[in-house]
Amino acid sequence: MFRKKIIYKLISLLLLFALIIMVPYSLTILNQASRMIEEHGERVNQSDEYVRLQETFVPRLVEQMVPYAIYILILAIMMAMFFMRNMLISMKELQRGSQALKDGNLDINLKIVSNDELGYVTKTFNEMATALKEKTIELQKKDTYIKAMLDPIWVVDNNNNLLDVNPAFTRLFGYSRDEVTGSSIYDFFDEKNAAIMHASLHEKREEGISSIYEISILAKDGSLIPVLISGGPIYINDRIYGKISVLKDFREQSELRTALRQSRDYLATIMDSIQDELLVIDRDYKVVKANKAATLNLRSPIIGEPCHAVSHGMYRPCWTEGQECPVKAVFRTGRSHRTTHRHLDLSGDLKYHEVVASPIRDSSGDVKNVVELLRDVTERAKNEEEISRKNRELVALNSISGIFSRSLSPDEIFTEVLDKMIEMMNMDGGGIFFINETGKEMICRYHRCISDEYVKKLGRIRVGEDIPGKVAVSGQIVTSSNILKDIRSEKSQIRYSGMKGYCCIPIKGKAKILGVFCLFNFKPHVFTSEEENILKSIGDMTGIALENIKLYEEMRALYEYQRKRREEEHAQLLSLSTTLGSAVELKSITGHILVLLKDFFRADFAWLLVSDDDRNFILKSATAIKSTGTEIIYRQGTSSIEGYSIEKRMPTVIQDIRSADKFYIHPEISALSFYTVASVPMYIGDKSVGAYALYYHSRKDFKEEEIHFLQIIANFLAVAIERSDFYLSVIMERGLSDAILQSVTDSILTVDNNRRVISVNRAFERNSGISSQEAVGLTVREVFNGGDENADFRMMLEACLEKALAGKNANAEGVMIMAYGNTTPLLISSDPVLDADGKVIGAVNLLRDISREKELDGMKTGLIRSVSHEFRTPLSAIVGMTEMMLDGDIEEKKVRKYLGIILNEGIRLSNMVSDLLSIAKIESGKESLKLISIDMEALLIRVIENFSSLIEKKGASVKYTVKETGDFVGDEGKLKQLLVNFIDNSMAFSDAGCSIEITVSRKEDELEIIIADNGWGIPEEDLPRLSERFFRGLHGEKVKGTGLGLSLCSEIIRMHDGRMDIKSKLGKGTEVVLYMPYRRQSE
Amino acid sequence: MSKVIVIDDEPFILMMIEDKLKRSKIDVITLRESNNAVEVIRKELPDLIILDWMMPEINGLEICKLMKNDPDLNNIPVFMLTAKGQDSDEKLGFQCGVDRYITKPFSPKSLLAMVLETLGKDKS
Repeated sequence: MFRKKIIYKLISLLLLFALIIMVPYSLTILNQASRMIEEHGERVNQSDEYVRLQETFVPRLVEQMVPYAIYILILAIMMAMFFMRNMLISMKELQRGSQALKDGNLDINLKIVSNDELGYVTKTFNEMATALKEKTIELQKKDTYIKAMLDPIWVVDNNNNLLDVNPAFTRLFGYSRDEVTGSSIYDFFDEKNAAIMHASLHEKREEGISSIYEISILAKDGSLIPVLISGGPIYINDRIYGKISVLKDFREQSELRTALRQSRDYLATIMDSIQDELLVIDRDYKVVKANKAATLNLRSPIIGEPCHAVSHGMYRPCWTEGQECPVKAVFRTGRSHRTTHRHLDLSGDLKYHEVVASPIRDSSGDVKNVVELLRDVTERAKNEEEISRKNRELVALNSISGIFSRSLSPDEIFTEVLDKMIEMMNMDGGGIFFINETGKEMICRYHRCISDEYVKKLGRIRVGEDIPGKVAVSGQIVTSSNILKDIRSEKSQIRYSGMKGYCCIPIKGKAKILGVFCLFNFKPHVFTSEEENILKSIGDMTGIALENIKLYEEMRALYEYQRKRREEEHAQLLSLSTTLGSAVELKSITGHILVLLKDFFRADFAWLLVSDDDRNFILKSATAIKSTGTEIIYRQGTSSIEGYSIEKRMPTVIQDIRSADKFYIHPEISALSFYTVASVPMYIGDKSVGAYALYYHSRKDFKEEEIHFLQIIANFLAVAIERSDFYLSVIMERGLSDAILQSVTDSILTVDNNRRVISVNRAFERNSGISSQEAVGLTVREVFNGGDENADFRMMLEACLEKALAGKNANAEGVMIMAYGNTTPLLISSDPVLDADGKVIGAVNLLRDISREKELDGMKTGLIRSVSHEFRTPLSAIVGMTEMMLDGDIEEKKVRKYLGIILNEGIRLSNMVSDLLSIAKIESGKESLKLISIDMEALLIRVIENFSSLIEKKGASVKYTVKETGDFVGDEGKLKQLLVNFIDNSMAFSDAGCSIEITVSRKEDELEIIIADNGWGIPEEDLPRLSERFFRGLHGEKVKGTGLGLSLCSEIIRMHDGRMDIKSKLGKGTEVVLYMPYRRQSE
Repeated sequence: MSKVIVIDDEPFILMMIEDKLKRSKIDVITLRESNNAVEVIRKELPDLIILDWMMPEINGLEICKLMKNDPDLNNIPVFMLTAKGQDSDEKLGFQCGVDRYITKPFSPKSLLAMVLETLGKDKS
């Protein structure tokens, strides 16, 4: 107990201390007291008292001393207690703290009781506890980390014995910590791994170097687990104590690696098993990987070589050669790219490769490499090229035929055809040469990709020289894959042009070669025989088109010419009637005028001489001489005064004719000895009509206005005389003006200044139903007052009239309802009538019936309509089917069928064009008959044979009889066409099972052909119009046709000087009878 | 599957349209003769009719008129596919109830597009 409680030790110590002090002190006191008693006893003798005293003294002293002693003891205890208290508390605190530390309670904080050493100790204790706590937490954390680590850790000492492992180690390998601690690491390796360990780790650790290596560790279950060990030495006091290593579970990586290896092998196998060449290309266009096919088929070495060298055999990237580089495209766009390239194989042969290039990206998404798959599409490309060429040809042919049918402008046609041909044949350029009129030279008229200078220099070639010249002679197409090496071009200019692929195609017209097409390529170009055929047919087609254009232009020129002439005639007539309309007011003509003139100018004699075709002067009229009208007064060349004035083109006055020796005077005149003569020439335009002359016995002076008047009279007379040649008989009977007016088929209505009708002609009477008597004197408004139906026309006429009266010409088109109720389109043409001073004195209104023009116009519209309409159906086949084929809608086996239809419809189109052109040709008079003696029966048999399939289809019966026709001379081709057309019509406009009978016989001097059918028949109103071009009768809607057939037939019959008679009854049938005269072959 | 009746006396037109429409899974009935066309239409009740105008026997316009006057048939769309290209023809066609007027030569592709458009519209 004393040992354990410090307080007891202290109390005991104090007690001992008190005893040590108290005992000697007490003994001393006892001794002193005893001595004093003894001393006192000596003096007092030792009485009893004394003895008793002496005997009781000690107990009494002790008795007296004990309370003191107890007091002192208590005091000592109390003092000890007092001094120990603080100390004890501190001690107790420390004890408690120590106990708490011992119990692991690090959160303890001891109370500091005193400031003495004990207090300091307590404070230090507290600090120590705090530090300890922090350290402990840190350690705990570290421990937690290590425990929490997913990767196993082991700590090995220098003897390769395991010092520690973490729980992950246990988890991975199955060994508990206790199991492995102390065991050698070599226990965890098989031999192979032990060797690895030994080799790579040992010395390194010795040297204190960190190391990372892969190794497999034996797990508890006996399996080998691959791990990546990364270890580092542990230093303690600068001494290597051991090594700590993290053992990273490498199973997954190992699997991955295996998988990677496998996938690499797999990829390699796949790549190699791909029949197409496969290349992986880097940014420098170098091949980094290639499959077996690539290695075998392309040049070797392949890896590390630039891709263009491998596939193109070029040492420059292929895009510099104009190829589209897929690798470049992929690097640029980052997307896959597909194209077709022309590559060279090992043997240098051309291969078409479909190249599919795709990006290979790294983890950051950048395109690192490009993988290129080269598929050999040589066959396909060739096929495609073939198909696309065919398509191009088809499209080009289609568009060329389109150009031909659409355009009639040679420039347009030829430039387009040239372009199309260049496009179709994939050529670089070309030109078209035409043989000029002399037939000796060819001139380049259209060219593409040839400079103007070159054309200027070499665009003229003599026929027969150079290649185009020879082609123009031979008519044979010339093609050359490389004209530079072609012997035919030895002396040719073409040698110096740089052209290689070259062809020259003749443009053939029907009878002669018109020119040549030349196409060229700066690269060699092999022409297939198909291409040659197409070129040839384009040449032929172009030739025909060219001739057609010429024909068309001639026709148009002819038409234009005729139209112009008609217009001119009309204008002339109009002006004549105008002039004469006013001339009527003079109430006289030549003879009468002469008398008037003679009287007016007080002349003694007047005559009028006209010049005949031989320029002789014939007496037309005279005041004193009887005239026969044919008597020649002055022969041609005679120097007469009249002749002189005509020559001078002005009135000539000779004061004294007798002194004018240069003039020859007719004896009869001369006999009358005249003095002054005035001769006035008469002109119409530049044409001299003659002259009239006034003779005076005495001197006569003419004033200027008198001469002017003479001239005016001369003008009137000139017109009258000029026209009198034509209308002489009429003039005799009815008078000049009326005759003119009446003979004009157009209605003429003349009005005066007051808008009152002066005259109307017969045509007007006939058309309007208003007689001359009724009309004259009325205003236009009153003339047409009959009803409202012509109100519009009347207003139009009035408007024109007003313009004419204002001195201008006016035209308008209107519709007038005629006397019999029929509506007729009329052209109103109003002209002012001027007097001699040019003052408007009235107006002539000519109402021309333009129904024929309208009709022609309608026919033209009909033509366009019909042509466009009839062409539409075959075009549907050509356009629609081509589109479908191009779109790939048609299975291969059906393509031929489609092409067949396109061809047939094309032929149908072509036939229509031929019909149209034939008619045009016949009408323009260009077509002549090729007369031969014809065996009509044989011809008929041939014609009927043509219809055999149709006859069969329709179940028709066609019978014919040919009766002793003898030798009929005619154009066999045309007659065949004629028969074909009629039989075709009979078949087309009949029901199935119809019957057709043809009879050919000789009727006197004529061949008679009767074609009779029992078909639908033709309505009566259609009959007169059958020969009209594009006329489609009642059944036109049901049967497809051009409306050209009968038109063509009637032209053919007309050419044979024959005639045609068509009888028909609706629902019964039609009988066509043709008559053509026999003629001798020599005709 | 939609059903279309095509009437044209030109066999190649029928062939083209049939080939084109069949590729788009349209059932095509072709008639070369217009005589019994209306009966066939009444029997088949197609989703669309494509008609030529000019045909022997009954012409396309008459068929269209007959259909439009028949309460059973008057809601079947009618395409007039014809060579008659005048504005006046087209006007007449529309007056007789034609839904679409297509002139020859025509593009089978656009015809198909029109057919699909019309069929699609009707279904919705």
